[in-house]
Amino acid sequence: MIKKVGVIGVGTMGQGIAEMLAKNSLDVLVLENSADRLEHAMHMIEVSLDKQIEKWAITSSEKKLILSRIQPINKVDELSDCDLIIESITEDLEAKKEVFKQLDQVTDASTILASNTSSLSLTEIASVTRSPERVIGMHFIHPVSKVDLVEIVRGLKTSDETVESLKQFAEAIQKKSVMVFESPGFVTTRLICLFINEALHVLEEGVATAEDIDLAMRNGYSFKYGPFQMADHFGLDSVQAALENMFREYGDLRYRPSFTLKKMVRAGQLGVKTGVGFFKYDTDGDRSNESTRN
Amino acid sequence: MIRMVIDLMKVLVINAGSSSIKYQLFDMTNESVLASGRVERIGMDSSIVTHEPTGKEEVVEVKEILDHVAGVKRVIEMLTHEKYGVVKTMNEIDAVGHRIVHGGEAFKNSVIVTEEVKTEIKRLFELAPLHNPAHMMGILAVDANLPEVPQVVVFDTAFHQTMPRTSYLYAIPRTLYKKHKVRRYGFHGTSHAYVSDVAAKTLGKDLASLKMITCHIGNGGSLTAILDGKSFDTSMGMTPLEGLMMGTRSGDLDPAVVPFVMNKEDLTLNEVNSMLNKHSGLLAISGLSSDMREITDAMHENEDAKLAYDMYVYRVRKYIGSYTAAMNGLDVLVFTAGVGENSVVLRQSVCEGLTYFGIEIDEELNKIRSKEPRIISKPGSKVAVMVVPTNEELLIARDTFNLVK
Repeated sequence: MIKKVGVIGVGTMGQGIAEMLAKNSLDVLVLENSADRLEHAMHMIEVSLDKQIEKWAITSSEKKLILSRIQPINKVDELSDCDLIIESITEDLEAKKEVFKQLDQVTDASTILASNTSSLSLTEIASVTRSPERVIGMHFIHPVSKVDLVEIVRGLKTSDETVESLKQFAEAIQKKSVMVFESPGFVTTRLICLFINEALHVLEEGVATAEDIDLAMRNGYSFKYGPFQMADHFGLDSVQAALENMFREYGDLRYRPSFTLKKMVRAGQLGVKTGVGFFKYDTDGDRSNESTRN
Repeated sequence: MIRMVIDLMKVLVINAGSSSIKYQLFDMTNESVLASGRVERIGMDSSIVTHEPTGKEEVVEVKEILDHVAGVKRVIEMLTHEKYGVVKTMNEIDAVGHRIVHGGEAFKNSVIVTEEVKTEIKRLFELAPLHNPAHMMGILAVDANLPEVPQVVVFDTAFHQTMPRTSYLYAIPRTLYKKHKVRRYGFHGTSHAYVSDVAAKTLGKDLASLKMITCHIGNGGSLTAILDGKSFDTSMGMTPLEGLMMGTRSGDLDPAVVPFVMNKEDLTLNEVNSMLNKHSGLLAISGLSSDMREITDAMHENEDAKLAYDMYVYRVRKYIGSYTAAMNGLDVLVFTAGVGENSVVLRQSVCEGLTYFGIEIDEELNKIRSKEPRIISKPGSKVAVMVVPTNEELLIARDTFNLVK
């Protein structure tokens, strides 16, 4: 039974994962090296819960209970008694390897080590540990609390036992799970990034405005968000990183990130987190009325 | 030997929630409570066990209890404890009765737990996703700790299974009833059954000869029309959301409000469910509290509290009016549960507007506080108005005893 879960890295995804786990009555330890980032993350989790109270999704006593289950920590060895640890730092293979090397030292073989990577090789991450059979991918989708899906990714050496435990765990946290064999971008990242990239080509060719492309896909095909608003939510830098990784791995030109995307990332227009991407956002992450590009 | 067992019969009643177990041990020779208590925060770091043996001091302990199996084990340890216990060994527990919220259409009465019964309760998880899985954990925990002891399940919905189709069907495509069993089930059945029986006995009349409305008003609330001694209609529906305005639940509203609000406020299913169940009712209107005591304390200074109170009372009264019409008459009106038993002012307000039906409440009798069933209407009142303290645990113990003996 998984009861205590560690989360390493508390960016947007880490925050969402920690909050969702606490909502499902699990004890959560969140690890981040910088005290400032840790404090900011706890604040953002609270903001997220407040927004849910405004939307009537939870009550204020439920908020207190959820927050009481999340414990911020700053030393990796405090994770030693976790049943599961989910790494969700930036998509940097070397940095992830370093984290798993440390986790391998401080935990025993009963702890499952999971990575929330959206496109990197699990097998390679697992290679730095002494027991790669307990290393697995657990790819959540933003916003974690609302999206009823997790991709469970097997590396080459992941054991059946580890896969089975995570399948049951996914059920316990009320997520549908899909089993994926290791492949760059798995199912979701591969398809959605291509979709966004192709939308960028349509925009670059002057076929339609960003606003209209989004509207067409939302209303035409029942997408909740159009490709550009989706990219703004993921973070344009993350979309670019995922595309570049798949471009490298598959060598196929269709994964090459569009120039517009690269330009916007260089300009620091990363989407919701910077307030500007294809559209503008207020500090709560809600859409302001005008779009930045048409 | 067999007779001795019957003579000494002790029944443990269990109400298992997702992270709690409430229990009472009854001595069925005189229906007395030997001990009661609860285990709270199961599965968390510090679980709390509160054990109240009758006539002895209350014991509270904080310790780690990881699951329901360990919870029931602790309950048994408490009951057989050298100092705080009330029985010598666990062999003295002859049967266990469980409260189960949803029995669907399968269970019209209490039954002894078998493998088939367990399967059926599991099948009903989707109708009561918050409650039935927790009850099931309670049953399995007793299995693990007292494998030889017979268990009985008593359903909140069972009493209402006598409702006619005119009461329980919703006027929506019938395929929804056939496919998903979408219909009115009603809740608090054990309480409505218990208080209607006590009310008739207190009046010295045959229940079957009376037209009765029982008002179970606590944090949740439901009214039941009882005709020929059977539930004829009840205000809660497929879920406990329908009917009266409650502490945090909306009660009746135009179903078109739901998709309209979901669209306007961009709400998910979970959000709209939570809004109607946890953010509505007294709390939403008063902006103050979901607790009727706080509302009535504040309503003389606070306009919103007064509005919440007035709406609440108005809806109780409307239901009494409609059930009186449904039965073409009314002989007995019963108040029970937390608010119904204790709020003098609420009973007064509800009855004041019902004089047309011949309901005349006696202000002085209404003010008396007591744990006994009592009449609070004037001697000449056409309708007998009563307060009957509910005791669902006792009814569960009785059903258990009767099935097992």
